[in-house]
Amino acid sequence: MPVPLLSIRGLSKSYGAVHANRGIDLTVEKGSIHAILGENGAGKSTLMKLIYGVESPDAGQVSWQGKPVRPTSPAEARKLGIGMVFQHFSLFETLTVVENISLIVPGRTAALVTRIRDLGREYGLEVDPRAHVHSLSVGERQRVEIIRCLMTDPDLLILDEPTSVLPQQSVARLFDTLRRLRDRGVSILFISHKLEEIRAICDHATILRDGAVTGTVDPRDHDATDLATMMIGRDMPALPPATAHKPGKVALELAGLDHTPDDPFGQPLSKVALRLHQGEVLGIAGVSGNGQAELARLISGEVTLPDHRAAEVLMLGQAAGDLGAAARRALGFAFVPEERLGRGAVPEMSLADNTLLTAHRAGLVRRGMIDRAREAQFTATCIRDFDVRTPGPRTEAGALSGGNLQKFIVGREIMLAPRLLFVSQPTWGVDIGAATAIRRRLVAMRDAGAAVLIISEEIEELFEICDRVQVLNAGRLSPSMKVRDIRVEDVGRHMIGAAEGGAA
Amino acid sequence: MTSTLNRRGFLQTTAAAALGAGLMPALARAQGEPLGIALVVPSPFGDVGWSHALAMGLDQVVAEYGDRVKITKLENIPEGPDADRIMNKVVADGNKMLIAGSFGYQNGAMQVARRNPDLSVLHASGFMVAPNFTPFAARNYQGTYLMGMAAAAVSKTGKLGSVSAFAIPELVSSINAFTLGAQAINPDIQVAVVWVNTWFDPAKEQEAARALLAQGCDVIYSNGQDTPSVVSICEETGAYVFNLNSSMLKYAPTKYLGCVATDWAPFFLQSVKAHLEGDFEGHTAYLGLAEGVIQPMDWNADIPSEVMTRITETQAQLTDGSMHVFTGPIARQDGGEAAAEGVILGDEDIVSMDWHVAGVTTPLPS
Amino acid sequence: MNLAGYRLARRDKASRKLAVVAPVVALLLSIALNFALYMAMGKNPVAVFQAMLIEPVISWPAFSEVLLKMTPLLLIAQGLAAGFRAKVINIGAEGQFILGAIFASAVPVWFPQISGLWVWPLMIVLGGIGGMLWAVVPAIWRVRLNASEILVTLMMSLIAAQLLNFLLVGPWKDPMGFNFPQSVIFPLDATLPLILPGTRVNVALAIALIWSVACWVYLQRSFQGYQLMVGGLAPQAAGYAGYSQSRAVWMSLLIGGLAAGLAGASEVAGPVGQLQRSIASGYGYSAIIVAYLGGLHPVGIVFSSLLIAILYIGGDNAMVSAGLPVAAVRVFQGSLLVCYLAAITLVRYRVIREPKGIRA
Repeated sequence: MPVPLLSIRGLSKSYGAVHANRGIDLTVEKGSIHAILGENGAGKSTLMKLIYGVESPDAGQVSWQGKPVRPTSPAEARKLGIGMVFQHFSLFETLTVVENISLIVPGRTAALVTRIRDLGREYGLEVDPRAHVHSLSVGERQRVEIIRCLMTDPDLLILDEPTSVLPQQSVARLFDTLRRLRDRGVSILFISHKLEEIRAICDHATILRDGAVTGTVDPRDHDATDLATMMIGRDMPALPPATAHKPGKVALELAGLDHTPDDPFGQPLSKVALRLHQGEVLGIAGVSGNGQAELARLISGEVTLPDHRAAEVLMLGQAAGDLGAAARRALGFAFVPEERLGRGAVPEMSLADNTLLTAHRAGLVRRGMIDRAREAQFTATCIRDFDVRTPGPRTEAGALSGGNLQKFIVGREIMLAPRLLFVSQPTWGVDIGAATAIRRRLVAMRDAGAAVLIISEEIEELFEICDRVQVLNAGRLSPSMKVRDIRVEDVGRHMIGAAEGGAA
Repeated sequence: MTSTLNRRGFLQTTAAAALGAGLMPALARAQGEPLGIALVVPSPFGDVGWSHALAMGLDQVVAEYGDRVKITKLENIPEGPDADRIMNKVVADGNKMLIAGSFGYQNGAMQVARRNPDLSVLHASGFMVAPNFTPFAARNYQGTYLMGMAAAAVSKTGKLGSVSAFAIPELVSSINAFTLGAQAINPDIQVAVVWVNTWFDPAKEQEAARALLAQGCDVIYSNGQDTPSVVSICEETGAYVFNLNSSMLKYAPTKYLGCVATDWAPFFLQSVKAHLEGDFEGHTAYLGLAEGVIQPMDWNADIPSEVMTRITETQAQLTDGSMHVFTGPIARQDGGEAAAEGVILGDEDIVSMDWHVAGVTTPLPS
Repeated sequence: MNLAGYRLARRDKASRKLAVVAPVVALLLSIALNFALYMAMGKNPVAVFQAMLIEPVISWPAFSEVLLKMTPLLLIAQGLAAGFRAKVINIGAEGQFILGAIFASAVPVWFPQISGLWVWPLMIVLGGIGGMLWAVVPAIWRVRLNASEILVTLMMSLIAAQLLNFLLVGPWKDPMGFNFPQSVIFPLDATLPLILPGTRVNVALAIALIWSVACWVYLQRSFQGYQLMVGGLAPQAAGYAGYSQSRAVWMSLLIGGLAAGLAGASEVAGPVGQLQRSIASGYGYSAIIVAYLGGLHPVGIVFSSLLIAILYIGGDNAMVSAGLPVAAVRVFQGSLLVCYLAAITLVRYRVIREPKGIRA
C-alpha cells in the first residue's frame, strides 16, 4: 500500500471554549482531488490553517509523505510542498502580475514572465504577466494566485472556497485546470459547501460537522441530498413552492440610469433599467464587481442623484433619486447591505443598540430620547423570531458569527414591515440551515405583498426564490427574464456578456 | 541651604497633613526655623537672563546667611491662577519672604501680602506698594545710556536696533536712554525697535533680529530676552549686540558689545536683613548704579579708547548723581518737548514713560 | 498581534470590571516606575508622592484648588467627548476657550463700572456664544469644503491667540496699566460668585457639573447622541442608516465650542478676574487628554478631570514642597497616561497564551 501524501490523526484545536476541530482524521492520496465539505463554522478553515502552519494544533499528529511534521508557519509548509490559495486574495492592485509574484518567488523578471506564460499554457491559467492586477477580473486574479503557488512546485494545493467568487463559466475552466494538475501528480484539497461542484470534480470527500468528521466518502457515489444530510445532520429543509400571485403596483423603477461613481476604481453604470412590483421578487444576478455595489448604493440612498434627476429613481410612488437613505426608509423602504459589520451593523455596539440603527422609527425613540425598554423588547423579539444564536441582546455585534449577524440584520429590517425590501447577498457566508431560513422569510415577505429585490451571486438561490431575474454585467443590466422560462445557462450567458442586444 | 528637600522638609509636610496647615507657622517659630525665602519666576532659570540674575542674587543671600535661610526656587510658573495658587502654597508651607519675579504676579502677590501681614514681598517691575510689599526695579536706563554711547561709536551705518519684549515703561525708558546715549556720540543716530510681545519665544526673537539686520542696523540691543537667541544671531551675522541682566559673552565672543548686568544681591541682602530685624517696610525700590545693582561689564575691545574714557567718566557721574540720563532738552519722537533745557525728569516720569525720544524711528504701539 | 506566544483577542463585550480596575492599575504602575526615578534623582519618593498624590486629596485648601483646576477641564472635556465619539476631532478647544474669554470680557472692558447680579450670567452666556462662533468656521470648512477639522481647529487656535494679543496690546489694554498687555481688572459683579467659603472655588464648578449631567443625557440617552456615536464607530453604518454626516460635524463642533467658550468665560470671570495673555494656559489641549482618559464617557470624564487636576496641583506641590523639578513632574504625568492607555486595552481585549507546537 503506497504511503499517503498527507495523513492526519486525531487533530484538535480549541479557541477558548469553542472546539473548532475535534480529533480530525484525514488522509489525502497522491494525485487526488479531495473535498473538505461542511457548513460555515464546521471547522474547515481551522483545519486548513493547521495544515498550512498558520495555527498550531492542541493535539494530534500530522504526517507528510509518511514522516511526522509540525509546520509552525506558512513558510515551512511551503518548503514541505504545501501551497494554499485563500478565499480573499492577497494581491497588490497597483502592481503588475509579475511584480506581485516576484514579491514571493525569487528570480529575474524576464525568467518569471516566461515561467508564468509556460504554466499558463500548461494548466489553462492564461494571464498577461505584465497586466496590472486592478485591471484583472476576479477569475484572472485567482489564476494569478494559483500560478504563484505552482511556482514553488507544490505536491499539495489547498483551495479555500475557490468557486465562491467565480462566475459559472470560469468555474468550468478552473475545474479543467485542477484536473490537469491532478493528472500531473499534484493533490488538491478543495474546500467548499457547494455539493454539485464537489460531485463534479472530487474523488474523495471528508465531511465535517461541529468540528468533527462525520463521514469520508466518494462523492460520486452519493447524491446531493445524502451529502447535505451528512453535512447538516438532518434533512435539508425544503422551500415552500412559489405560489402563483398577481403583481401589484410598481414599488421601484429605474429608467435607464447612468451613473459614474466618485471612486475611480468603481464600476460605472450604464442605462440600468428595472421595474419591481409589490408582491414579487426580482433577482439581480452576476459576479460582484460588475456594478452591484454602485447599484445598491443608488437604490439605498447612500448615494443620491442631483435634484433634476430625482425622477430617475421611482420608489413607492415617488421620485426618490435625490432623497437620502433616511428619507427613502421613511417611504417604506428597508435594506440589508452585503457588508454586515461596519455597514449593516456597528461591531462595537450591542445588538440592542444595533436595533436602534434603523428601527428607531419603530417607536424606539420618543421626543428625541431612546426608549430602552422598547429597544430591549424589539431586540428580544428579533433574536427569538429569527433564531439569532447569541448570549443575549447586550452582546456586541462584532462577536456574532457572520450567519447569525445576517439573521439579526435581516430580522431587524423585516420587522420594520417594509413595502420594499432590498437585500444584497442575503446568504453570503451563511450556513445552509440559516440560508434556507432567510430565503423562506424573503418569500414570506413577497407573499405578504411586499416588493423584494435581491442581489446575489448564487444563481441557485435566485432560481429558488425569485420570480424574475436580471443580470448585471460590466455595469449593464440585462432584460428581465421569468425564472420559470429559463435555465441556469441562460443567466450564465448574460454573466459573461455573451447575450448582448435585447433592450431592457 | 538651598536644598529644598530634606528630612525635616518631609516631616513638615507630614506634620502639616496631620495637624492642618494652620499650625505650621507656630510650629516653625517654636523650633527656631530658618527664614524661608521663595522665589517664583515665569521662565526657566537657565544660565543667563532675568530669572538667572534673580537666582544669582539669592545665592549671595545664602552665602551670607547660610543655615539661617532656606530658599525655594520655582521656575516656569505661568502668570495667572497657577501663580496665585503657588504663591499661596509657598506661604502656607511657612515661607516668610516672597520674591515674585514678574510683573504679572502683581495682583496675586498683593493678595497674599494682604492676607499674611508677617510676610514680606518683593515684587519685580510693579507699581503697587503696601507696608509689607515692595516693588523693585533696576534703573536699566543708566546702563543702556552708556551702551548707547558705545554703540554709536562702533556703528558704521548709523542705524541701531532693538528687539524688545513689551512696550512697558521699563523697556521704553531703556530704549530712550540708549538713544540719548548714542546721540551724545553721534547726533544723527537712528534707533529702530521691533516689539515681539513675548518674554520667551526664541524663534520669534531671532526673526525680529534678522529683520533689523536686514534694515541695516549693525548694533542690536536685546531688550527683555531671557535666552541668547538674539545674541547668537548677531555673532553669526557679524553685528554688535548687548543685553541686560546677565552676561552672554560666551554666546558672542567677538561681537559682544557689553552687558548691563543686574546684581540683585545688595538689594536682597538689605531686604532680608530688614525682615529679620523686623523693620521691613514696603517702598518703591528703584535701584541703579549708585546701589551697585546696575553693573555694566564685558566692554568690547573694539570700542575706541577715547569713547571708552568718556563712558567711564559718564558712569562715574551717573553713579555719584552729578549727571542724570533724562536731562533736558529732550525732544519727543512726535516733535513735542519732553523736557526743557536743564529740566531733569523725575522717577515718576521715568516709571510711567510712554513716549519715545526723537531718533527712535519706530512708533510706539498705543 | 503575536508576541512571544501571547496575543490579544477581542472580548465579546468590553469588561466593566476592568474598566474600573484599569485606571488603578495604571496609577500603581506609574508610581512604581517613577519611584525608581525619584530614587535615582536622590529625592525621597515617599515625600514626593505624599506631596503629589496624598496632600491634594486630604488637605482642604489644596483640594479646593483641585476643584478649581478641574472646572475648566471638566467643562471642555465633556464637550469634546461628544465630538470625539463622532470622530470629529476638534483639537482647537484652546482657541474656542480664548474666544469665550474674550466675549465674556467684552462686558467689563466696555463697561468697567457695570454692576448687577445679571452681569456674570451674561458673561457666561456670551462666552459660550463666542466659543461656538469660533467652532463655526471649521464646521463650515469641513461640511462645505471637506477640509480636515483637525487642521482647521488647530489653526483657528493660533488665530485666536493672535486676536487675544491684538486686543491686549491694542484696544482692550488697561489705560492705567502702564502698557502691560492686560485688560482692566473686572468689577466685583463681573466675577463669578464663590460657592465654597474660604476658597477660590466659584459657581463655575456647579455649571460644570450640571453640564456633565446634560452631556450624559445627551450622549447616553438621546437618539442624537447615539447617531454621533454610530458616525464615529462606523461611518458606513451611519450612511447606511441615513444619519446626516453634516449634522454630526455641526453638533460636534458646536458642543465642543460651547463648552470651551463657557470654560474660557468662567476662567476670566473666575480666578483670573481680568483678560490677560496667560489665560491661554493649555486647558484646551489638556482637556483632550482628559476626554480620552475618561473613555469619552461623561461619568469617566468627571473622574479623569479630577485625576488630572490632582496631578496638576500635586505637581505644583511636589515642586514647592518636595523640590521636584518641573520636568520630573511632567514625566510622572506622561507615564501615567501611557500606563493607562496600555491598561485600557485590556478592557476590550484579553491576553491569550498560544500553545507551542503539538502536544501529541
